[in-house]
Amino acid sequence: MCGIAAILYKTGESTRSQAVGLQLREMLYSMRHRGVDSTGVNIAGQHFGTDYVVRVVVSEDQGASHAIEGVRNAIAALGGSVVFINDFGRFRRIGLNYSGDLGKLSDSILSVKGAEIHSIGRSSEVIKDVGDAYELDKKHHFSKVNGTHGLGHVRLATESQVDITHSHPFWAYPFPDITVVHNGQLTNYHKLKREFQQRGFRFQTHNDSEVIAVYIADKLSRRRKLGDVLEESLDDLDGTFTYVVSTDSGIGMAKDRWSAKPFVILETDEIVGVASEEVALRRIFPDDVRRVEPQEHEVLTWNVSLAPRIKVRLN
Amino acid sequence: MTKRLAGNVPKALSAPVSQGYSIDARKLTTRLLNASIKSGVSKGRHITILNPDARHNLAVGIVKRCSLSFAGSVGYYCCAFCDGISATIEGNSGWGLGDNLMSGSIVIRQDAGASVGASMRGGQILVWGNAGARAGISMKGGTLVIAGNSGFLTGFMMQRGRIIVMGGVGDAAGDSMYEGIVYVGGEIGSLGVDAKTESATRSEEVELRAFLKALKFRDDILPRRFKKIVSAKRLYQYDSLEPLERERLVI
Repeated sequence: MCGIAAILYKTGESTRSQAVGLQLREMLYSMRHRGVDSTGVNIAGQHFGTDYVVRVVVSEDQGASHAIEGVRNAIAALGGSVVFINDFGRFRRIGLNYSGDLGKLSDSILSVKGAEIHSIGRSSEVIKDVGDAYELDKKHHFSKVNGTHGLGHVRLATESQVDITHSHPFWAYPFPDITVVHNGQLTNYHKLKREFQQRGFRFQTHNDSEVIAVYIADKLSRRRKLGDVLEESLDDLDGTFTYVVSTDSGIGMAKDRWSAKPFVILETDEIVGVASEEVALRRIFPDDVRRVEPQEHEVLTWNVSLAPRIKVRLN
Repeated sequence: MTKRLAGNVPKALSAPVSQGYSIDARKLTTRLLNASIKSGVSKGRHITILNPDARHNLAVGIVKRCSLSFAGSVGYYCCAFCDGISATIEGNSGWGLGDNLMSGSIVIRQDAGASVGASMRGGQILVWGNAGARAGISMKGGTLVIAGNSGFLTGFMMQRGRIIVMGGVGDAAGDSMYEGIVYVGGEIGSLGVDAKTESATRSEEVELRAFLKALKFRDDILPRRFKKIVSAKRLYQYDSLEPLERERLVI
């Protein structure tokens, strides 16, 4: 089944740093009946104070510290400098300054035995684990994370294993800040994945939803508009889906031609909240009963209207 | 057929209300809440459910004449498997509102999610807002009225009864329907497999208008003409009789 949710604060500086984490926790917990295998969020529009934040999870087979040391060395070997490392059990949140190619950095971290990358972002990070939203919060304290927008997912596994690696959101390796949550099943993802792999793209999992993330990121990297990319995905992706994508500047949703998966939207002048079920919208809009249900073959996008905050480093 | 069905449609039931009371859903699990509704119903009182909070499976399986109202939105399968209820929902609903309704009336003030009135066999459902995809899917009787627009696959695999949409319907309207009628006041996105349009007869129009006026639709918002979608019966493999009716025929 799976449940997805997202929230975005539309306007300017004054609304930056909203309690996106807290609100996602409440939305996802209210939809726990849609899946308790795992829960995950991506909280975007943050100020890291470093070029990137990398979220990694390491295997404890040879000791977590051993793998972390490997990640550190991998970053240093490419000229990156680690500014901070936050410790959440097997998970590490690494703030680093780096001016090189992100593909190389990602490959280098991934080559460390026992390390997986959950996300690399300039202003967003993925936090995901097995269990429901409150269990996730207990371990990772994501309800205290603020931002301008974010998305989340509760999973009932259908296409691949129940573990942390295969939980949503999926980050589009190695594109910063692009993540996807998906409710549904793709039937042509093997084919799409093979095409991407032939072009040199890398996948961390066997999950269908990871392909959506890479599909979108690839097109966005060629300076395409998010709305156009989502439109094209309606024909390129086969199967049932409602998915939400988050970028550094906003969110977008697409719904398949069969209208097979539920989705509702509540939008005000300041906020837009979207979710698989209205029960989640009621957590952030207790009394406002207006809501729309997108129909089949539909695409919508919303932007955070912030001045560009990301400065390109010129060395 | 239309006339006979119209005759069978029960008017909004006025349950034997002695004294109303309310239940705060926030304090109860769904199971307890439904048990409380049922015990209140057996006492013949009007029940208002406060803070329904878009939760699923509220007021399911009630087979007594009763009167309920929900002070907010409800989730999936609200008032499913009911017989004889009269329910009002002040907010929206999720999927499958009034699933398998046998008789009675459900009124929803805002939008209904997908599959409103799925497999309903009698009674009537009135949606004052819009309906999602597959409204009246597999309907087997009764009347589903949608004051706004209705989505994709309206009347999908419909077997009996009628759907009246005052606004427009989305694509694939009446797809694979066997019997029954979908009346559309606005635009039809496209017709589904084995569906065709017919023009409504004068007497049908008169009957429809009288029916809608009785539901408090103002004259000026009624569409000037109704389009009518029925099965083209090119792929027709269906026996539309209920078991009891078939017995009667044999006798």
